[in-house]
Amino acid sequence: MHEKKVRNISLWAFLLRGKIRLDLLEMGRLFVIDLQGETYSCKHCHTPFALTDDLISKSFHCKHGRAYLFENVVNVTVGEMEHRIMMTGWHTVADIFCVCCGSLVGWKYEIAYEKSQKYKEGKFIIERFKVLGPDGGGYDMNEDEPMIGSDEE
Amino acid sequence: MGVVEDTEPPLKRAKRDETNGFSSSSGNSSVRGSSRCSVTDSSLGDLMARPLTSSSSSRGDDDDTTVGSKGVIKKSEFVRIITRTLYSLGYGKAGAMLEEESGIPLHRSFVETFLQQVKEGKWDESVVTLHRIGLLDEKAVKSASFLLLEQKFLELLRFEKIADALGTLRNEIEPLRINTKRVHELASSFIISPSASSGLGKENVSSRSKVLEELQSLLPASVIIPENRLETLVENSLHIQRDACVFHNTLDSDLSLYSDHQCGKHQIPSQTVQILESHTDEVWFLQFSHNGKYLASSSKDQTAIIWEINADGHMSLKHKLVGHQKPVTAVLWSPDDRQVLTCGAEEVIRRWDVDSGDCAHTYEKGGGIGPISCGWYADGKGIIAGMTDRSICMWDLDGREMECWKGQRTQKVSDIAMTDDGKWLVSVCKDSVISLFDREATFERLIEEEDTITSFSLSNDNKYVLVNLQNQEIRLWSIEGDPKIVTRYKGHKRSRFLIRSCFGGYEQGFIASGSEDSQVYIWHRSTGKLIIELPGHAGAVNCVSWSPTNLHMMASASDDGTIRIWGLDRINPHNQKKQVQGSSSNGVVLRQCNGN
Repeated sequence: MHEKKVRNISLWAFLLRGKIRLDLLEMGRLFVIDLQGETYSCKHCHTPFALTDDLISKSFHCKHGRAYLFENVVNVTVGEMEHRIMMTGWHTVADIFCVCCGSLVGWKYEIAYEKSQKYKEGKFIIERFKVLGPDGGGYDMNEDEPMIGSDEE
Repeated sequence: MGVVEDTEPPLKRAKRDETNGFSSSSGNSSVRGSSRCSVTDSSLGDLMARPLTSSSSSRGDDDDTTVGSKGVIKKSEFVRIITRTLYSLGYGKAGAMLEEESGIPLHRSFVETFLQQVKEGKWDESVVTLHRIGLLDEKAVKSASFLLLEQKFLELLRFEKIADALGTLRNEIEPLRINTKRVHELASSFIISPSASSGLGKENVSSRSKVLEELQSLLPASVIIPENRLETLVENSLHIQRDACVFHNTLDSDLSLYSDHQCGKHQIPSQTVQILESHTDEVWFLQFSHNGKYLASSSKDQTAIIWEINADGHMSLKHKLVGHQKPVTAVLWSPDDRQVLTCGAEEVIRRWDVDSGDCAHTYEKGGGIGPISCGWYADGKGIIAGMTDRSICMWDLDGREMECWKGQRTQKVSDIAMTDDGKWLVSVCKDSVISLFDREATFERLIEEEDTITSFSLSNDNKYVLVNLQNQEIRLWSIEGDPKIVTRYKGHKRSRFLIRSCFGGYEQGFIASGSEDSQVYIWHRSTGKLIIELPGHAGAVNCVSWSPTNLHMMASASDDGTIRIWGLDRINPHNQKKQVQGSSSNGVVLRQCNGN
């Protein structure tokens, strides 16, 4: 019979990390916020995530190459909090996923343990590889210039 | 009112009574009388069993014997209002018997005489008696005298005793020096024509009872016991019980005097009584018609369905509305319930006739602009829609564009509605702002929220807006005057989808909402308390609707493609048999579900 299925967002997100099969997902009637202006959007489903106006820094780094720090990001679901060691010390972060297709987009800084890193709390990292830029362009880490002194892992 | 309050801690009181025995020094220091004063569980019958000794002291109005466990009810008052009630119910013999047995007359002897004199029209004597009653309030005495003399005057006129009437007016009424306006009116009746004074009314026997009524309101209640006093006290008590009942969801006719009213959760629809499976994909929206006879649902399967509710509460498919090429995001009833609007996601709006199931009109705007949300005009003669280009369009029924408001809005208008009195046009105009546009005065009020708004609903009385926020909170705003938050509701889950909530139940005293954890949530509206969570669906519940006419019927729409109808938890062998006998036609399957 119909069992009670509690929708555990983080479990679902974990299963689909990296996977972006739209047809496998129950969509429901998605609530998607519209962004006006120059935006970074999901490279798979074009859902807008952030305005260029909210871009704080381009000098972050992740395993797929560059990552950008944003003041505010929309149309993402936030996963479970985890402790991670980064190049700048221990942080508590939560991965963020596109509401539409579920692909992993980046992470959110919940807590920073070093005083110098506190400014990041409540802000978001978007991996450049996962999004299309304001001009619609993608990103390939191999064609990028080598970064001098990266901030993050 | 009818509420009795604790004057002392109950234990203390009980102890004292026990040690009391037949002595008179209990908590009530002014008690006289040779018997126990606090009657706890003994009925009035017991009291009667010791008639003469106890009643000998309970004479007159100054006796302070009390009844009831809290010692607040004065026995003489209590008996007198019961006597009054017996008389007004028509049990004259019982009333007289009670007066005799208890020794507590309904009215003091002077008052009895007074009332008798009024009934018989002996006006002069009644005025004399009035003064003998010994009222303290001068004004009341004067007003009452005026009333009596006025009636005397009118009756004299009626019987054409003009000279006497004039005499009364001059010598008796006028010297009272009150209500001079009325005196002038009476005087002018001579000028018009004495016989035409019938226009002033009040000349026959039935009008004497009117005089009695007015006297009752003039004189203090302790002199003439008001009619229906006991009924009023009981009604007040019932009202208080009803208001205190958190789960209150029954009609007033179900209130009983035998025990304190407490609904209990069993009055909230919490049992799945039917599952409707005719949609072939996620069901995104549903709504009962205003008259509660139909339910309309819309789905990602690009159709909308109109369901008919039979006399026994069972739903059957009436029409499937096919024609949209995109998921149908909403289906809305016209004010007269004869038509519905369906909104295809960023596609077109269609208007359908409920009886025939035919599409009467399609509303679209070219240039790739489609509707996000739509609504009816309060008079049912127009359509409003929020479009993808962030404008609001208005059409008449034939499709002529009446107005189109552009600009100002920074979001696609995700929700739009007109209050059914036609006063407000309510729409989401910015992420966290709802615009309340007064159509007559053409000014705008704003509901400014702290977080992104996903959807809203209006209350039936057009005084409240229920706002769903992105942060999983639902807030109730009052929009009479400056908008302000009244209550907040939390507990359900929402992170990706557009989940809708609604008002429902007795006097819309409950808030129900869908949730991404597949449950239906119900809160008590005024306290914000979460009353119940209803599992059962196998996917996110997108929308709920509570029947406006049946307090105990609620419907929910889910991503699992089904609609569940919720009703009361009734164990009815007859019902169970019906369900076991299988499904009916039209793809509606009956399932026996006891919830999970």
